[in-house]
Amino acid sequence: MNGSSEVIIEVEELGKKFQLGAIGASSLREQLGQQLSSLWRSEDRSTKSFWALRDINFQLKKGEVLGIIGKNGSGKSTLLKILSRITGPTEGTVTIEGKLSSLLEVGTGFHPELTGRENIFLNGSILGMTRKQIAEQFDDIVSFAGVVDFIDTPVKRYSSGMYVRLAFAVAAHLQPEILIVDEVLAVGDFDFQKKCLGKMNDVAHSGRSVIFVSHNMGAVAELCTRVIVLDKGKIQFDGPVDEGIRKYISNTRSAKGSFMLTDEEIGSDALKGNHIRRAWCEDLVGNQVAEIPLDHGFRIGLEYTMNETVGSNRAAIELYRDARPVFTSFSDDQEVVINKNGKGIIYFEIQPYFLKGGDYSAELYLSPPVFKSPQALNFTIQENSVNVFNKGYRRDRLGDVVAQGTWKTPQNLE
Amino acid sequence: MSKTVIRPSTFTKISLRELLGYKELFWSLALRDYKVRYAQTSIGLLWAFIQPVTSILILNVVFGRFANVDSEGLPHILYTTSGMVCWTYFSYVLTNSGNSIIASQAMIKKIFFPRIIVPISKAVVGLIDFAIVLLILSAMMFYYGVEPASNIAALPLFLLLNVISALGIGIWISALTVRFRDFQYVVPFLVQLGLYISPVAYPSSYAMEYLPEWAIKLYFLNPIAGVCDGFRWALFGLDSISELTVLSFVSGLILFSSGILYFQRVEGKIADIV
Repeated sequence: MNGSSEVIIEVEELGKKFQLGAIGASSLREQLGQQLSSLWRSEDRSTKSFWALRDINFQLKKGEVLGIIGKNGSGKSTLLKILSRITGPTEGTVTIEGKLSSLLEVGTGFHPELTGRENIFLNGSILGMTRKQIAEQFDDIVSFAGVVDFIDTPVKRYSSGMYVRLAFAVAAHLQPEILIVDEVLAVGDFDFQKKCLGKMNDVAHSGRSVIFVSHNMGAVAELCTRVIVLDKGKIQFDGPVDEGIRKYISNTRSAKGSFMLTDEEIGSDALKGNHIRRAWCEDLVGNQVAEIPLDHGFRIGLEYTMNETVGSNRAAIELYRDARPVFTSFSDDQEVVINKNGKGIIYFEIQPYFLKGGDYSAELYLSPPVFKSPQALNFTIQENSVNVFNKGYRRDRLGDVVAQGTWKTPQNLE
Repeated sequence: MSKTVIRPSTFTKISLRELLGYKELFWSLALRDYKVRYAQTSIGLLWAFIQPVTSILILNVVFGRFANVDSEGLPHILYTTSGMVCWTYFSYVLTNSGNSIIASQAMIKKIFFPRIIVPISKAVVGLIDFAIVLLILSAMMFYYGVEPASNIAALPLFLLLNVISALGIGIWISALTVRFRDFQYVVPFLVQLGLYISPVAYPSSYAMEYLPEWAIKLYFLNPIAGVCDGFRWALFGLDSISELTVLSFVSGLILFSSGILYFQRVEGKIADIV
């Protein structure tokens, strides 16, 4: 990539205040006098306000691909809207050198009654392309979208997939110096998403500058050269991608990765008999962890006390992902011996690429008699080291585990 | 390389240079309106004839036959049609530009462009309606053997008055509806009322004859009064045009410039509150 350090976006002391309450929803009759005086004022003094963004300072250099990440409501969208000039800031300035195009959605301005051809020209000009530029790339756009046969059909007759493909195809042929992309990639079918990511990759590696907002940490990790983490309208972190993603994950995490029960929680009866005292997650070298990368193996450890030895003793794990059961496993499934006399530790090891990204909760049992841990062991599988973008085990696809089967062709069956 | 500086402002100054940079979008939007207007209708553009023709016929029957109003020596239907040339355009632009910001809100929230081009593009699309009624009028003039007067050179001036007053009110309403949806309901009301308080199907001399002094001035503050009178003066050389037409020009200009001013005041907030 080019090593130029030319600053093309400079954001200084940027802030945006929003009015809370029913702005614009009031009818004339309700607040006639007050509203009439507010016709000229740009804000209503009567309503409360909050800062969606405050004290934002950063620079974007030429060729950088900047990821902006943060929880919902952290101010990402507001920042994008200010940078794309859709809305104005309340304070601060932004200086942009060069032609900036923003893609906050695909297919802006598409009209259902117009044909694919007409919509390409309309949408192209909305995105800031000239008729000439569109005409030059027209064939590419049509074939990229794969709608050659339908190009003179009104888009209201398109399938939703075709519609989205056409819309993205126009956007993909923009050639701005700076591109701002919101999570528009999260549309369309599997093949198409692959295409989109490829296109994004091209842009990112062509020396143009990109600002990319996404919740897909894998895609951010793969595409971006730098990230900014927004939290409650402020920049919490600005720097290397890995570190930023870690920061973001620690913002969003609810999992603790371990617990230790008090005597009270265990209960006096169980205390005399069989109970679990402590549980935790650890990586394969024994460091306690709460977030486990998708491509790493890890262990769940249980520290227990076993005083009653009636029949076969076992520990058990019931694992849930977002409250849906994933599996149940008993220690005696594999004839692992539980120390029947006093304290002991037992591990359940989980291989890499098994649990999909997400928040997990493990209910832990010891029996007999059945002791159910009053606390569940919570942990998170995260995907920041793996680009799951167009994988079947992407977080939001059906199912809770990475399928363990193998795809084969007749030729490589053996 | 272009340089853009974004800073807080409560008044978005419209830059002519920037507007020119968006002329492609302007034409695309106008073209879209034109193309989708009669989409999926079987008679298409014919509707653009049926509507004004029906209005003309009804106005002719009511005003010309029933009320037998004076038409200054012209066949009444010709008189009404010349009024309808102005009125059709005015009502189209007023209605569509008034509603234009609300109708384009999805786009406004997702992409930047000078918002003013949305209402203004309707003034261009309305010219199609204008041309259609003008065509009907020309056919009638030919039929009745009425030749255009030498004043016809002044016609563009009155067309301009029609454009700026329709746009002026339209821009005002488009900006006001961003915060107050009440104004959406003002438009049909204005359109209905306007037909009767403007000399579309009767001569403005009636107003001067029957109204008190102060009301006559008010009557001509309606820019369409000046437009209708001006059109007839330009087309037929009728000497009924009053010096009060100046009032129509004054109010048209005030409506237009104040509309633009108010729009600039609201522009920066549109995406936030629409």
